[in-house]
Amino acid sequence: MSCSPIVLKDYVLKELGDAERRAVDAHLKSCTGCREELERLRLTEAALFSLREEEIPQRIAFVSDPVFEPSTWQRVWSGFWGSAARLGFASAALLSGAIVYSAVTRPAPVAVTPAAPAVPTIANVQPAPAVSEAEIQNRIDVAVRKAVAASREQEMVQVRQLVGDLQQKRQQFTLALAQLEVDEHKLSDLRHSGYYPTSASVREQQ
Amino acid sequence: MIFRAVEDGDLIRQAARGSVEAYNLLVSRWEKRVYNYLLRITGNREDALDLTQDVFLKAYQNLRKLDDPGRFAPWLYRIAHNEAYSMFRKRRPETDVDDLEPEATETGITVGGSAVFPVELSLAVASALERLSPDQREAVVLKVYQGFKFEEMAEILACPVSTVKSRLYTAFDLLKTELAPVSARGVS
Repeated sequence: MSCSPIVLKDYVLKELGDAERRAVDAHLKSCTGCREELERLRLTEAALFSLREEEIPQRIAFVSDPVFEPSTWQRVWSGFWGSAARLGFASAALLSGAIVYSAVTRPAPVAVTPAAPAVPTIANVQPAPAVSEAEIQNRIDVAVRKAVAASREQEMVQVRQLVGDLQQKRQQFTLALAQLEVDEHKLSDLRHSGYYPTSASVREQQ
Repeated sequence: MIFRAVEDGDLIRQAARGSVEAYNLLVSRWEKRVYNYLLRITGNREDALDLTQDVFLKAYQNLRKLDDPGRFAPWLYRIAHNEAYSMFRKRRPETDVDDLEPEATETGITVGGSAVFPVELSLAVASALERLSPDQREAVVLKVYQGFKFEEMAEILACPVSTVKSRLYTAFDLLKTELAPVSARGVS
């Protein structure tokens, strides 16, 4: 291969395949200029690595935090459509449609005047007033509200349980951390006093 | 090499099915890297932290759209890149994003003191990185600090591989001029 600053950069950046790397290695043995250039690139890379990664100042909020939770509306909507209420709603809507259709298309009942004295027949009985569309809509709304409330209540129970579990785990973690601190402190004291515990002495203490 | 009992791909699949615990674990594995990437391109800790938060929120909301869990890293960094540039545009809408520079500080990004590398070298690096264009700096950060391949960088930056290489090579030439002599003094 001939001298190529770009290939040398790829070499340092580990973007070359095995064969290409071997070719560069062979070339470097006989080319002082490329060796010097490679040295400069490596020093540059080493300098860049002197800039260490920083610890994140604060852990990222997890999904169970409110910031990750969907909005109330999204929760209600997804809860509703992702639950059994969907089937109930669809059935209710279908049934309502059938009732409305039936009410609109059914012919009006014809009154038959009997010759004989009036005998109570079904024809004399006043038909129940047809259910208006507004009423049907109202019933649907009520059913939907109930389904949504039930779904939300169930979710709230789950959330409360999760929060409870989390608090418990946090408490356990805090206790473990405190214990660790105490142990570290003890160990530090021992070291300062010139005593280095061996595994045998630790077993003895235990 | 750190052995991981559960691979990222498994966590992604579980998280996509709604497992909060799986996503929490995934976040804990990636938050430091994403934060440092954003810190290098914004030069501001508060912005980096806020953006990291936004990135993981957006990633969670769109996790189901990730077809191949093996491409999680470039996908996540693509979100991070978009979030950062969206912030740049909001702050200075009349300015071309290519002209944007990270917030200048007296000492650049502060680094933790290290006995192995002199502080002067770290400061020189921070200063040299600040003098690069935003595109060049981001290419260096993705390659050197985050270890992405050219193809992955092209995916993150939504540009051809040739553009990625061009930015990186130019950046390296500029950094070499400034840092190689300083680094040589530090090493010797």
